[in-house]
Amino acid sequence: MDSQAVNQSQSGNLNRPGTVAIVVALVLLPFILSQFGRTGEFWIWVTTEMIITGLFAMSLNLILGFGGMVSFGHAAFFGVGAYTVALLMKKAGVPLFLALLAAPVAAAIAAAIIGWFCVRLIGLYFAILTLAFSQLLYMIVFQWYTFTGGDDGIHGIPRPEFLGPTSYYLLCLAIFLVCFMLMRMIVNSSFGLSIRTIRENMERAKFIGINVRRYQWINFIIAGAFAGLAGGLLCELNRFAQTEFLHWSKSAEPILGSLVGGMYSLAGPAVGSAVLIFMKIILQQLHRSMVEMWAIVLGSILLVVVLFAPGGLASLYQKLFRKSDS
Amino acid sequence: MANHILSIEHVSKSFEGLQVFNDVSFAIAEGELSSIIGPNGAGKTTLFNLITGYHIPDDGKIVFEGRNIAGMQPFDIVRLGMARAFQRTNIFPRMSVLENVLTTVITRQKGNLNFVTPTRNLKSAHDRAYEILEGVGLADMAQRLSGTLAHGNQKRLDIAVALALEPKLLLLDEPTAGMSPEERWQTVELVKQLWERLKITMLFIEHDMDIVFGISQTVRVLCYKTLLAEGTPKEISANQQVIEAYLGEEV
Repeated sequence: MDSQAVNQSQSGNLNRPGTVAIVVALVLLPFILSQFGRTGEFWIWVTTEMIITGLFAMSLNLILGFGGMVSFGHAAFFGVGAYTVALLMKKAGVPLFLALLAAPVAAAIAAAIIGWFCVRLIGLYFAILTLAFSQLLYMIVFQWYTFTGGDDGIHGIPRPEFLGPTSYYLLCLAIFLVCFMLMRMIVNSSFGLSIRTIRENMERAKFIGINVRRYQWINFIIAGAFAGLAGGLLCELNRFAQTEFLHWSKSAEPILGSLVGGMYSLAGPAVGSAVLIFMKIILQQLHRSMVEMWAIVLGSILLVVVLFAPGGLASLYQKLFRKSDS
Repeated sequence: MANHILSIEHVSKSFEGLQVFNDVSFAIAEGELSSIIGPNGAGKTTLFNLITGYHIPDDGKIVFEGRNIAGMQPFDIVRLGMARAFQRTNIFPRMSVLENVLTTVITRQKGNLNFVTPTRNLKSAHDRAYEILEGVGLADMAQRLSGTLAHGNQKRLDIAVALALEPKLLLLDEPTAGMSPEERWQTVELVKQLWERLKITMLFIEHDMDIVFGISQTVRVLCYKTLLAEGTPKEISANQQVIEAYLGEEV
């Protein structure tokens, strides 16, 4: 626990050659995969999904790991972003890049409204209220058939010609990297420190003059905006928006990813999400019927993480490859 | 008559029908080092909670520098220049000692809404934080995780965090609670020395009568929902009412 908290004060302070190597590998990956025909194309799609889900998990972790606010309704903003892209492109003919700009804006507005109520509560009550709001949004989208297509979703979202699987992968990777840098900047800034201060001791934070609710609200909006961007990207990847994007089970995904990857690190949740997706796909590839075993596998992974590595993969990495800071 | 930095005027407070204070009034002179004593359950900490805005009085006024602060939020009262250290250690455990003070300095400078500059580049805030840590003797532990410090040092850090707010009035709730006799006197020395150096008003709660009578200019006794007595240590230790109600015969 100790070493990881100290390291957190220098979040994203990865050693440079290692970071460069990872980024280069990620850039080259689709070109290598595209040599393997249909299987390769499938894996480009999978890795693109990993990147997007990683962004989603990192966005949640701004409030979960750094802010200490457990939200069960983060899918609301993911869904708002996805439907913003879907509706703008399909119904209004807006080009992809404008739609992708609008997604985080729409999600931030939704987060501002929902968050305004939620930050008035703490702990479990906060969690339940976020869940209630996201389920409310889910029901609205589900019922409002003429506008959202109900449970049919919105199909056939156009894709610009020049965006093949490889270039869409690269677009997502570029956006992911920019978001990563932005989040790293926020986490290491005075605002990030204030957020961690609130997480560590909310009552004392008030007594050093921090307006706790306001900073939690701002953090909630930022997290919502990044989630909305992730939702928009997944919507374009699948060329399909569906009510599932807003469902509570979608809210669980980034929580699980953060738990497995380590919620006291910046990149941990993204790595955790990627690992979970990878294992699920591998299980699928082994045998179709194995998918039914996913719940058992996921349960076992979580059990191992909670019991033996409460800091997730990030803390394991630190134990294995870094000397203790103290 | 000296200027009063804080005055409590006819304050009453009940919790679910149980009255804790009934029409309490007193005033604290600017620059004073004074103490509050009283039996367990007399409401000493509750009084601090009322002054700092954690609780709102049912009745009466709390006037800080000429302004009624009853009903204001704790974080707003802090900004007026009142800080508090807590009875039970109340720090930010998974942050370094330096970060504990740094976050307070940044808040004091109203710099929380900076999303861009890494905190490690905020030189003036860092210098200020180190200066405060040196003042309480924790500078050489700046990089330690605050939750791993010994109890006495955590209490010192608690005081450092309060000092980082550059308060005009500092409330210390049992600064020596849970300490060994040796640590106690070191802490008392620290408090006295800070008071002399910073020239701020300090009000502390304490159970150890040697400490109370040793360093306070004024002693106030809280007992039975009200202020029983107020005076110099000499007056208080000779006060028949106080002896009967609280001190006992020995003193």
